[in-house]
Amino acid sequence: MSITEILFWFLTAMAVGGALMMVTSKNPVYSVLWLIVVFFAISGHYILLNAQFLAVVNIIVYAGAIMVLFLFVIMLMNMNADNEPQKNIWLKIAGMIAGGCLLLVFIAAIRQTEALQIQKVNTGGQTGLIHLLGKTLFTDYVLPFEISSVLFLSAMVGAVVLGRKGD
Amino acid sequence: MNLILISALWGIVMMFSGLFIANKSTAKTIAVVGALVLLAGNLFDLSGKMIIDSNFNGMLQYDKFGLLFLTVIVLALLFYFLLSGKAIQEVGNHSYEYFALMFFIMSGIGLVALFNNLLILFIGIEIVSIPLYILTGADKKNLKGNEAALKYFLMGAFSTGIMLMGIAFLYGATGSFQVDKLNLTANDNFTIFLVIGVVMIMISLAFKVSAAPFHFWTPDVYDGAPTVFTSFMASIVKAAVFIGFLNLFMNGFGTITGKWQLSIAIITALTLFIGNITAVYQQSVKRMLAYSSIAQAGFMMFAIFAVNDMSKQGLLLYAAAYCLATIGIFAVLVKMKDFTIEGFNGLAKKEPLIALVVTVCFLSLAGIPLTAGFFAKYFVLAAAIKTGTYLWLVIFAVLMAAVSVYYYFRVIQAMYFKEGNSEMAETSSGFKGLLVAVAVLIILLGVAPNLLLNWLILY
Repeated sequence: MSITEILFWFLTAMAVGGALMMVTSKNPVYSVLWLIVVFFAISGHYILLNAQFLAVVNIIVYAGAIMVLFLFVIMLMNMNADNEPQKNIWLKIAGMIAGGCLLLVFIAAIRQTEALQIQKVNTGGQTGLIHLLGKTLFTDYVLPFEISSVLFLSAMVGAVVLGRKGD
Repeated sequence: MNLILISALWGIVMMFSGLFIANKSTAKTIAVVGALVLLAGNLFDLSGKMIIDSNFNGMLQYDKFGLLFLTVIVLALLFYFLLSGKAIQEVGNHSYEYFALMFFIMSGIGLVALFNNLLILFIGIEIVSIPLYILTGADKKNLKGNEAALKYFLMGAFSTGIMLMGIAFLYGATGSFQVDKLNLTANDNFTIFLVIGVVMIMISLAFKVSAAPFHFWTPDVYDGAPTVFTSFMASIVKAAVFIGFLNLFMNGFGTITGKWQLSIAIITALTLFIGNITAVYQQSVKRMLAYSSIAQAGFMMFAIFAVNDMSKQGLLLYAAAYCLATIGIFAVLVKMKDFTIEGFNGLAKKEPLIALVVTVCFLSLAGIPLTAGFFAKYFVLAAAIKTGTYLWLVIFAVLMAAVSVYYYFRVIQAMYFKEGNSEMAETSSGFKGLLVAVAVLIILLGVAPNLLLNWLILY
């Protein structure tokens, strides 16, 4: 096993384990902390794929800003075991079956990834670095890049419309 | 491109006029002017004169069908603003922002209709969805509206996630986001990747058009949202998502119909069944229209099922007929005091003209001959017959159309044959004139559908 492979499996185990712990934790604050573990594991994957910029942005935006917001909300809501909604046992079983089916389908797909990787992924040294990323963003993908400003603007208008006091 | 650009800019103009103009009722005027400018921009699009004449490395494709579809949508928007503009101003204190959000939605619709790249489809669908969540919860004091908005937001976000995952799988299988470069063939090496991608995109788009079994949000959201915005969601937005659906499945997945046609057929049958049967039991007209919009989505699904030239014509006509009828009915419903079917009792005696227009709209939704709805249904069903398979589906659809006549006629019966004192807000003569124009358009399209369809072939 090469060092990349060892790292890959380590990060994968970390991500999957963290995600499972996040869902199963009783305490929401622990859930958030486990989610941060997942984000760091995924950032590790980005670095393995030679996408350093994405890795850093992922940590700054998700693990930094959004997670802090999550923590604030959870602390302000003052959640505890008493006001946690009770779930029906049948709902849990149905969720398990549906999730299990999805897992099977994904495993069937992931079995094929090895051949796919050899065939499709471009392993040029520059891929994923900030220089190339910026160039692609402002040439090939300029329309989606610019037009998403409309999306953010409408979200901002919505936040103001819904969040303003007094009406 | 004109339409996308102008609607985004006009949304900003609306926001700033809200800042500088204190008078609330000017909003409608500015919005109507905006819709007219959009229409002009779209006509320039159609004749090939664009402000930015570029397809951005194949991100967009300006085909005649998409542009003509946008013309229909913009006309529907114009009618909607003229008929319901006043009601929009009465929802809350932010009338300019509501109009601005609708213009942003229009720019998303432009993207959805003209996309040639899965990223653009995704961004377009998002620009359409996010303002809708806000409009659903616009009436902040209404608890039902708040619940509907939250429900819609959570489920919508989830379906967006599914769509992104589908796009990622499709990218894994083909190595391209470009719809025309997908080059799918049935015996591809990465069949499972491909199928998962197609199915996930199908699920999320079916959610957005409220096709069963992904329809559970629809009745609650349509019922909880302010009635004017329900009208917008049920007509313009629904038709617009369908064109994205059809474009993707025709241009992208058209070569592998064998892989998804059965799934679409099952979705169609379920949608028709659940929508029509549940609508029969509703007492509130607003909720009944929500279920009927699910049923109508079932008919529009036939266009996606068939993916041929006729389904293009069918969807175009269906969008026009459905938008006009829905906007007409909702414009009247907003003015009613009581939303139950009893609330319509005896409307024909009090307001004969309005009752007549509502009757025409309901007849069109039911698909009675001489209204636009008849030819719309005829074209989508004929498109499905042309494929030569799944004939049972068409027979089932005709049966379900017969069921739909029952609940539409309950309202007509209440208006004409029941004694009662239905209360309705004051209506101006301009409002009545516009309603008559809607009815005339519906009948005109019902007599001569070629008035619209010829544009696909001619010019």
